[in-house]
Amino acid sequence: MGFRRIWHLLRGGRRRPTSAQMLRRAQRLRDDGRFEDAAELVAEALIRVPGSVVGHLLAGSLHMTLRETEQARTSFERVLALEPTHPRALLGLARIALEEGQHGACRDLLARALARYPDFPEARALLDVARGLAASPDARPPATAGADSARAVAPIAPRITAPIESEAAPAVAAAPAAAAPPQSAAPADRLRLPSESREALFMRPDATLLFAEPRGPRTEAVAARAVKLARIATAVLARAGFGPLRHAVIEGAAETTYLRADDAALLTLAFDRDVTAATAVAHLERVWGRCRSELA
Amino acid sequence: MSAAVATRPALGRDIRALLGELMKLEHITGGLVVAPDGLVIAADLPREIEAEPLSALAATLGRELELRGPKLRRGTFPMAQFASVGGTAFLGSTPVGFIVLLGEPQADNETVRTALRAAVGTVYRAWAR
Repeated sequence: MGFRRIWHLLRGGRRRPTSAQMLRRAQRLRDDGRFEDAAELVAEALIRVPGSVVGHLLAGSLHMTLRETEQARTSFERVLALEPTHPRALLGLARIALEEGQHGACRDLLARALARYPDFPEARALLDVARGLAASPDARPPATAGADSARAVAPIAPRITAPIESEAAPAVAAAPAAAAPPQSAAPADRLRLPSESREALFMRPDATLLFAEPRGPRTEAVAARAVKLARIATAVLARAGFGPLRHAVIEGAAETTYLRADDAALLTLAFDRDVTAATAVAHLERVWGRCRSELA
Repeated sequence: MSAAVATRPALGRDIRALLGELMKLEHITGGLVVAPDGLVIAADLPREIEAEPLSALAATLGRELELRGPKLRRGTFPMAQFASVGGTAFLGSTPVGFIVLLGEPQADNETVRTALRAAVGTVYRAWAR
């Protein structure tokens, strides 16, 4: 033993780090934002200790950060195989379920996490959002959105009755009759949509679509996404001590979406990126005023 | 401030310093940088705001925007802002995570958006090396 230590010192070598040391170092690397380096170290540690809860949890967290959802799911599931009520792994899987529109599964996972660890503010905050999404169909695939659109589009305000002419009309007409969504009924001319607008959606807070221009087979799914986004944003604003969501601006790669909302309705207008914010907001307010008076 | 953020790529690696620069904007009352899994990387929030639940929700919002955006198109979004009567939350997407700024109603949205856009660009450049 003494000889080995002397030999080690003479060689100037260092003792091989333990898996716990490797994971601690990986955690520090993650905190410094060196995610790939951290992930490599965690993978190495897990080869040595495949049953490490901390290792799999850290791996899940790093996969999420690197936007590797499937690998993150696998890591969190491995944690639960080792420790079935681990609250952080349950939270991780709940986040993935929420991203995928599996709102029921998300609620169940969060409830399990809170049953184990009631003082878990992140889980409680996400559960509030997931509960608010209870009415939304779980993981509704966009391609089949038209099938249940009769329920989603039916209740139209009395004055919004005329069928719209949509850019998407040929695509809708070409679809099988059973899958074709019914026409939403607000007259585009009465709402006087700006010519620069690439897309307009007007809906109730439960995602019931009142008007869409253009309209296509995925319109209901887009509306449901907009409502989900608005609910999460409202939760963020509430946590920040502000009131409910009223306006939003979302810059995309090709276009910018402007959103206007109150307790009864939500409107989104999408414009090309070259339309100025001032112009877009002015259009948004005008269309919002007309939409709200149509609803009144 | 925004010029400094835009021209020093090394700053993009120092997320806390970057957030500190953004916090100097007028009428910005709080800010945080949160990883996509909800982990707080850096936070400078008023005492009455709990960081963990806000970061969990901000990461969820950021991921929702990243994954689908309002048009269900997969891809990154550079910047988004969500406003209520009481204030505005600004959100920027970077490879490291999401930068969140909280502003009073008097905050100049265009100025904040420009600064945040510059900060996001700085992080992208720093992390592309």
